[in-house]
Amino acid sequence: MADDLTGGYQYPFPMPDEDDVAMSDGAVHGRPPGVPSSYEAGRSIRWTPDSIAEVHALSRLGRYQIRGFTTDNTRFPTFDDLTFVPASLTRLPLEGYRENCDTRTVLGGGRPDLVSAPLELGIPIYIASMSFGALSASAKAALGYGASKVGSLTCTGEGGMLEDEREASNKLVYQMTPSRYMLDLEHLRQADGIEIVVGQGAKPGTGGLLLGMKVSERVAGMRSLPLGVDQRSTVRHPDFLGADDLQVKIEELREATDYKVPIFVKMGATRPRFDVAIAAKAGADVIVVDGAEGGTGASPELLINHTGIPTITAIKAAREALEDCGMADEVSLVAAGGIRSGVDAAKCLALGADCVMIGTAALVALGCNSPRYLDDYEALGTAPGQCHHCHTGRCPVGITTQDPELETRMHVAAGAERVARYLTAMTMEITLLAKACGKSSVHNLEMEDLRALSLEASAFTGVKLAGIDRPFGW
Amino acid sequence: MSDRVEIIAGERPIREINREIRAAVAEGEPVVVRDTLSRHNLGIGLAEGADIRFEGSVGYYCGGLNNGGTVHVTRNAGWGTGEAMAKGHITVDGYAGMSVGASMRGGIIHVKGDAGPRCGVAMKGGDIVVEGTVGFLTGFMAHTGRIIAVGGAGEACGDSLWGGEVWVGGPIHSLGVDSKVIEPEADEVADVERLLASLGIDGSHDWKKIVSAQRLWHFESRDASAWLMI
Ligand SMILES: Cc1cc2nc3c(=O)[nH]c(=O)nc-3n(C[C@H](O)[C@H](O)[C@H](O)COP(=O)(O)O)c2cc1C
Ligand code: SF4
Repeated sequence: MADDLTGGYQYPFPMPDEDDVAMSDGAVHGRPPGVPSSYEAGRSIRWTPDSIAEVHALSRLGRYQIRGFTTDNTRFPTFDDLTFVPASLTRLPLEGYRENCDTRTVLGGGRPDLVSAPLELGIPIYIASMSFGALSASAKAALGYGASKVGSLTCTGEGGMLEDEREASNKLVYQMTPSRYMLDLEHLRQADGIEIVVGQGAKPGTGGLLLGMKVSERVAGMRSLPLGVDQRSTVRHPDFLGADDLQVKIEELREATDYKVPIFVKMGATRPRFDVAIAAKAGADVIVVDGAEGGTGASPELLINHTGIPTITAIKAAREALEDCGMADEVSLVAAGGIRSGVDAAKCLALGADCVMIGTAALVALGCNSPRYLDDYEALGTAPGQCHHCHTGRCPVGITTQDPELETRMHVAAGAERVARYLTAMTMEITLLAKACGKSSVHNLEMEDLRALSLEASAFTGVKLAGIDRPFGW
Repeated sequence: MSDRVEIIAGERPIREINREIRAAVAEGEPVVVRDTLSRHNLGIGLAEGADIRFEGSVGYYCGGLNNGGTVHVTRNAGWGTGEAMAKGHITVDGYAGMSVGASMRGGIIHVKGDAGPRCGVAMKGGDIVVEGTVGFLTGFMAHTGRIIAVGGAGEACGDSLWGGEVWVGGPIHSLGVDSKVIEPEADEVADVERLLASLGIDGSHDWKKIVSAQRLWHFESRDASAWLMI
């Protein structure tokens, strides 16, 4: 103790009572005031209540947790770290409520010799690949009709081509995953584009996952799987490994479909600067870069939270990669991952994407996390606004389920109309911003239209810092 | 000279070669392709009734996405021979590389020599018959269908099978994850022997039939409540 500090000093009164020193009078019993706050729960930035609960969960389960939805890693820079700087005197705005702003978007239009029928969309947004299996057939159909109404497209996802979706979608991209469920020449030829998947933003480096509760008779039939197995798909393609093989594969798909439709390559954002260059060199007509914020139907939670790089950082790297290899005019770039609105989408376009793709947002438009059937949310241990239980197949609103009864809650017509309106609203948001920035086409949005609100966002993207008008320098 | 339409592959664009093949097929003509130079993507997505003989060796994906054609390769074939085939018959007189019949759904692939690794990977139906040996990871994650390796199998045979069967007439280097050898039923053996006989192969071997041990079919529980986040 520091007794020596008192130097033998004596108060001119008796030592006070210890209870009085501890300010015990009037205090809550057993909890005297003056206890240092570091003893209070949850103050450690490392051992938060969440990380303590996580250890308890792992030690009980003996395995990692699996869930759907998207990341809850709070350290990602977000679209909100960027703001638009519309025209004023240096640039001339367009009339937001009157003048036109072109939203037409062409994917795979850069190689007429190899792609005779590029995808022409009315809007710069389309619906991401979400498999039948992850989604109910009704949800797939609703997305298809909604997208068709506004001239957009949908993408099959991992489980093969569902008739309901082919019928609903005017434009349908067929996804070829490593598992190749139900890969069929006729389906390839019915598709308006073919997407080779090498990864997904929510879980790059791993394959699809569909728990047995969702492997219903129809799903199992389409995937030729035993009924009810926990389907953990391969991540490596069965018949190609590296970039040179991918090039041959792309040629094979062109041969099979007579050089009509564009070939997409979809990847999770990890090293987009290099991966995008490789995909472009291998002959992809459209490259889809899915950031770490991207949604999933089911994945190990650690992958959702701790793998991949944020969408805003990936777009810039991907765009630069295309420019560096001189292929920016030949190859279309699609960005995805965490896009919630036309504002987010507009930022993607400004950062260099030709088009964006939405998964989670489209499900939310269908009614995901809507406050209905509250008992069913509760039975899952969750509530509207915080549900991420797509993996269980017990979706309270009928979107991510194969249970016929739950599926009746997904009204195809109403869902389609909500998706169509949402895509329309998003497009209006994009054009409003574009016109304010003086752009007569949404594709003229550019980096100069943005400013960064944080050093991090500027350093990650090269967008100029607000006010300083220079990117954070390295 | 043959009575087949003759197409010289050489170094010409693959698109041109395949277009000529398709045109001949549309006319109902059998085709012989010469000077194949191990070119990739020869004879993709062939239609019912196609009858193509490749004189020489071919590269990747020969007969890929076959939809009913008959293909004969007189020498060796590269990776992914007959990948995603739905129906038809492919014969390789020599050796075949990696991933023979990857994700095929039907039809027969017959390799007279050896086949490389991952033979029948992700297979979803049909039969692959290899007279020689097959490489490592044969039948990796195959769903249904039959892979018959008369001469023997390499490492990790039948790895992670969902369903499907690997039949091996010779030695097996090692079994893959979650696979097991079971005693085949007499009628199954008879069926295999019949298939082999139809291809001119003696089927009398000491057959080992490898199937999924089904331990990887499930994580641990099929009950949704076990998968709620805790
Ligand atoms: C329910 C669900 C199912 C999905 N299924 C697939 C799939 O089968 N194949 C695939 O490549 N991506 C799949 N994804 C990922 C989406 O295609 C897309 O990359 C992602 O949703 C984009 O991010 P966002 O959800 O933030 O818009 C799925 C996503 C969700 C939410
Ligand atoms: S409401 Fe349905 S779709 Fe939305 S997170 Fe929950 S289970 Fe998934």
